[in-house]
Amino acid sequence: MNTHRPWKLSVAGWAALLLFAPATVLAHQEIGQITGFASGFLHPISGFDHVLAMVAVGLWGAVLGSPAIWVLPVAFPVTMAFGGLMGLLGVPLPGIEIGIAASAIVLGIMVLAQLRPPLWAAAILVAFFAIFHGYAHGKELPEGASALLYSFGFVVATGLLHLVGILLGEAHRWAVGRQAVRAAGGGVALAGLFFLWQAVAA
Amino acid sequence: MRRAVGTTLVALAAIVVASPAHAHLVETGFGAFYDGIAHFAVSLADMLIVIALALFAGLRGTRAARHAMFALPAAWLVGGALGALWPTASIWPVSTTLSLALTGALVALDAKLSDASVTAFVIVAGALYGFVNGATMTPGGAGGLALLGAVCAIFFVNTILAAEVTVLPVGWPRIAVRVAGSWIAATGMLMLGWLARPTLA
Amino acid sequence: MSAGLRSWLLVVLALLSSGAAAHEMSMAEMEVRQISPREFLWQWTVSGNRPANEVLTPVWPDGCQDEDNIVRCGDAGLQGVLTIKGIGKVYSAAMIRVYWRDAPMSVYTIAAGQPRARLSGPSDGASPGPGAYLYLGIEHIMLGVDHLLFVLGLLLIVGDRWMLLKTITAFTVAHSITLAVATFGIAHVPAAPLNASIALSILFLGPEIVRRWRGETSFTIRHPWVVAFAFGLLHGFGFASGLAQLGLPDSQIPLALLLFNIGVEIGQLAFVFGILLLERSFRLLECHWPRLVERLPGYLVGTLGAFWTIQRVVILLRSVA
Repeated sequence: MNTHRPWKLSVAGWAALLLFAPATVLAHQEIGQITGFASGFLHPISGFDHVLAMVAVGLWGAVLGSPAIWVLPVAFPVTMAFGGLMGLLGVPLPGIEIGIAASAIVLGIMVLAQLRPPLWAAAILVAFFAIFHGYAHGKELPEGASALLYSFGFVVATGLLHLVGILLGEAHRWAVGRQAVRAAGGGVALAGLFFLWQAVAA
Repeated sequence: MRRAVGTTLVALAAIVVASPAHAHLVETGFGAFYDGIAHFAVSLADMLIVIALALFAGLRGTRAARHAMFALPAAWLVGGALGALWPTASIWPVSTTLSLALTGALVALDAKLSDASVTAFVIVAGALYGFVNGATMTPGGAGGLALLGAVCAIFFVNTILAAEVTVLPVGWPRIAVRVAGSWIAATGMLMLGWLARPTLA
Repeated sequence: MSAGLRSWLLVVLALLSSGAAAHEMSMAEMEVRQISPREFLWQWTVSGNRPANEVLTPVWPDGCQDEDNIVRCGDAGLQGVLTIKGIGKVYSAAMIRVYWRDAPMSVYTIAAGQPRARLSGPSDGASPGPGAYLYLGIEHIMLGVDHLLFVLGLLLIVGDRWMLLKTITAFTVAHSITLAVATFGIAHVPAAPLNASIALSILFLGPEIVRRWRGETSFTIRHPWVVAFAFGLLHGFGFASGLAQLGLPDSQIPLALLLFNIGVEIGQLAFVFGILLLERSFRLLECHWPRLVERLPGYLVGTLGAFWTIQRVVILLRSVA
């Protein structure tokens, strides 16, 4: 096409792709597929222990700053999927509930105490806990739902929770925000203690 | 060269016009070509692999993305035509899912493959998915025109996405692409678990 | 003529044989007459190239039996869900008019996007549902290869963003005007000459595109929006043919017109947007096309315009003779 001036459509283009994206999901004719995505998406959100742990990953990433801010949220879904894989394969993993509660406690304390271990250590810690989360929740596929859509919804919801954590953690740039982020970390750790008590008592 | 291109296109057009399409998997009411587009749009597996390959090629720069722009639809079309010829073949869920997870991982790692390797990878993945596409669409009654519609949609999505990724500034935008890759890799890995499970249960 | 060019012409011919056929919007019409409280006589009144009763089968509401084009219903009368098997293939839609003995006529539309009609007895105001009109509009433009080709021709001529905006807006305003004029029955253009002149409008753009390639200028190249407006008036009458076949009751015309028009604009903007995105991508990816490929869209507009002009003028002459 003979256009002399370049079209600066980048923003518009991305907006269009984003607009089309939900349509591609919603356009599914089979109800089973919609339930697949919806139940996968709602699953990580519906459990308070998971929500807190995932937001805490984002918070901690924001506290640690680049590159941890994105390495951790990348490591989490992948190893979580690995945990889900283990669960689906029937590989035994003891103390799942305790592991999940411990993840909230440890990640909360990390944020509260503003601990800054080396990147590899932080990544391994996050990945370790992610396995428990994936193991516990990856395998609860409703009857008749599409496994791919369920998995996709599950991963997307997890990633968005990290994003929420990162955005909250950005408050860390200001003095007041820093205290608020630390307080949030403390809250997560306390909630983790409660989950641990529940897990042990049960 | 030009003659070869022309002849090829004539042959393609002949194939498309000659093959009738009766029933369709997704009926838009707009005809087989649009049904093919719709089929692609609602097939998450197909959509995800195209997005993943586009991100992968886009991260590797203009040349790789340009090659992928032609390689992916062409491989898909050839694979689809072969799949239509042998529609009884298995749909190979493990290999398609593995390639999806692998592509996602390559995006997440921002793997610095050479242009030739990128093209080869795109061709293999595209042909694989195209084959499965052709093999599954044909028994549903979709013909060459539907396949062509799907390939056009793939060309469109792949080209636009890859092109936009090539010009993303270093920093957050490229990291967002890598995060998207990690999500695709994670989805693929969970999916592998689902595929492995029934054999044990 | 080089071998390459000859091959391209073959491609074009192959493509347009399907394109031309695809555009003909075919709408089946069914007439249902109440002959006694529970008995209805029905028949297909208008058919396209293939008789409607060969490809369409009505599925009457539960409790109604069809015998030799007479439907006998139970105490409930003609109420419930009516579907038509085979919609979306040869016929893209069907319109059903129900003539009641003691009530005004009801009109229902069944299309692929609106596969069922809910018949609710004689007192019903009969609304086919707004979604059907929107869908019909999108369908009309998506299958209207000639309209899209005209828009493509305009895209090939316009120079910059501002001119593009003006041109597309002018085209939209113009065809909306005539679409409304035709739908309200203020003016009517017979199909044969209309189709021929729409084809001519596409052919007209061909030489202008060539001028553009040669770096020459012309009135069209300087003011493409004027041309877009003028020919847009023609295309609006073309769009109206898609809507007019519905035979809407007067009360529904404004809503149907609005939604149909919105559907057309959605389809048109999606097309323009898609072309622009692709063009941007080719530039970003530094594609250097062979000149033939670069000019292919222009050749497509010109040759198809010429082909349709000849074809439709022949049809016009035959209808006159």
